Amino acid sequence: MRIVNRRDFLKRTSSLGIAALGARALGAFAQDVLNVGVVHQYPIGEVGWETQHAIGWKAMEAAFPGKVKVTVVSDVQQAQDSERVFRELASQGNKLIFGTTFSHMAPMLKVARTAPNTHFDCCASVTTLKNMGAFEARNYEASYVAGVIAGRMTKSNVLGWVGAFPIPQTVWRMNGFMLGARSVNPKAVCNVIWINTWNDPAKEKDAVGALISQGADVLAGSPNTPVQGVAAEERGAWSVANCSDYSKFVTKKQLTGDIFDWRSAYVDSARDALAGKWKAQDRFRGLGEGGFCAMVPYNAAIPADVVADAKQREKDIVSGKLKVFAGPLKDRDGKQHVAAGASLSDKEIRSINWLVEGINGPFPKS
Amino acid sequence: MMDMLVPVLAATLGAGTPLIFAALGELVTEKSGVLNLGVEGMMLVGAIVAFITMRGMGNVWLGVAAAGVAGALMALLFAFATLTLQANQVASGLALAIFGAGVSAFIGKGYVGVTLESSANAGISLPIDIPLLSPLLDSLHPLVYASWLLFAGVNWFLSRSRAGLVLRAVGESPASAHAVGYRVIRIRYFATLFGGAMAGIGGAYLSLVYAPLWLEGMVAGRGWIALALVVFATWRPARVMLGAYLFGGITIVQYFAQSAGIAFATQFMSMLPYLATIVVLVVISRDVAMIRRNAPVSLGKPFHPSV
Repeated sequence: MRIVNRRDFLKRTSSLGIAALGARALGAFAQDVLNVGVVHQYPIGEVGWETQHAIGWKAMEAAFPGKVKVTVVSDVQQAQDSERVFRELASQGNKLIFGTTFSHMAPMLKVARTAPNTHFDCCASVTTLKNMGAFEARNYEASYVAGVIAGRMTKSNVLGWVGAFPIPQTVWRMNGFMLGARSVNPKAVCNVIWINTWNDPAKEKDAVGALISQGADVLAGSPNTPVQGVAAEERGAWSVANCSDYSKFVTKKQLTGDIFDWRSAYVDSARDALAGKWKAQDRFRGLGEGGFCAMVPYNAAIPADVVADAKQREKDIVSGKLKVFAGPLKDRDGKQHVAAGASLSDKEIRSINWLVEGINGPFPKS
Repeated sequence: MMDMLVPVLAATLGAGTPLIFAALGELVTEKSGVLNLGVEGMMLVGAIVAFITMRGMGNVWLGVAAAGVAGALMALLFAFATLTLQANQVASGLALAIFGAGVSAFIGKGYVGVTLESSANAGISLPIDIPLLSPLLDSLHPLVYASWLLFAGVNWFLSRSRAGLVLRAVGESPASAHAVGYRVIRIRYFATLFGGAMAGIGGAYLSLVYAPLWLEGMVAGRGWIALALVVFATWRPARVMLGAYLFGGITIVQYFAQSAGIAFATQFMSMLPYLATIVVLVVISRDVAMIRRNAPVSLGKPFHPSV
């Protein structure tokens, strides 16, 4: 029997206690139930930007039943408010917090710096921190495939694009669309009208009317509402959905759509956090398994050979055989941006501010 | 070029219609001496109520009627605050606008992104085939015709009817009208409720006909434009119509110009409708005497019967 000295006893148990505390403080160990926070800027509707994110976090909940608890705060419209909400979520014990739009980037950066033990992930953010990641979709891949369909289905060879704001996300989609259309139909052109708003259905409808009067018979665009497709269908034109599948509203004349698929973004992030292996990443993915964008099922009216061609191109893009922005590429003023044999780098894509040949209409340099 | 004229005209008339409803309603309200700045809020509430009614009942006209009632109820709140409780009209109107935005967003929460089947544009088919007019009239919604009837009605009411004369008298000198025996507060109540109902119908047009879908804030500032139209048109219904169609027309033409390749900065083009409407109306209404004749003298001033 050893005489246990009180001093030694205290030394040994306290060092154990400190070790345990230290392990907790590190935060990066496997958790039992992961508390996740998600913030939406607008209310979640049936379709639209917020809906696609809702599909994402619902998939995350379903993938880890019982191990993930999601707190969703929606309709936080002002950036200042979202900063307060991020702070509250972090202080309430949420270990993984998602922002769903570009305007969440700045408030999240502020909060992430003060909460180093919490993981943050922001959609469409352009910066990352050690505990803040970003994810963005290469939806130019999807709009390229949509352009291939549009180029074959147009009879007037005029496509129409309703633009909200000339940000790189929109410009790369327009370029992808045009390149896809021109790859099957060298005579196709695309007229663009900028309405300078994301949320004005009346302006969208007017712009669609103007484009159709100018001869467009396939409409595509950037506002995240079904109004474009509905207005196009009324006038007998095809439309390509953007962001969500609008076939519930555009029952006959929706060709396809390039939509966001954020499920992998949420599921992969949660999986890493649950395993204690979360690291801030800048994820920029397109079509394919685990990607961030997808094609809406093709309209039954599209001829089978066109659909087969589109599906083959999807496969080629995923395998890397087909690069959307492969050279030689000139912009519509004739300036060469990509030489033969090369293709645009990610950095160039993410700051793209020029339009390819075939797109007609003003281009406000923002 | 000619075949584009009909769609441009039809779109112009459609774009101007919500403004006409809201502006003519506000004109009647202001002619009685009440300045109701809450037009944007009333239009938003009208839009969401019409949308919900249409979704539930499937009838456009029920939706329009419900929107009118909703707009009038919003105006009733304002009227109670300013006419009975004698609160400041400008502040109450602004509060109404913000309140309306909030209420419409709140009750519309479950309907964001939901679309209706677009209401069929049952136009008038003329028996004889006039080249420009027939296709145009065919493509207009009945509410556009209703807006023309409203214009005729408001014009006749204000300038040719006894009741309109009394209303204008109340707006010019409520003290005199009160001395003669007219119930100033009651007349102003009716005028305010009418203005609210018209603003509600203007909002209903936006959410039922123009873009059959509800989005938060879809009125997008048109209520404020209607308010400005009334002032810049010096409270004359014909000029209000002109301003509304000018505004709608330039918005539409600006889109056609963009796709025709006319290369102005698009932000300038977005600004153009507002700028042009203000400039044109100011230029044609710059006669000071005419402004004095038409502006209601007691606009915005509270009236207390004991004076």
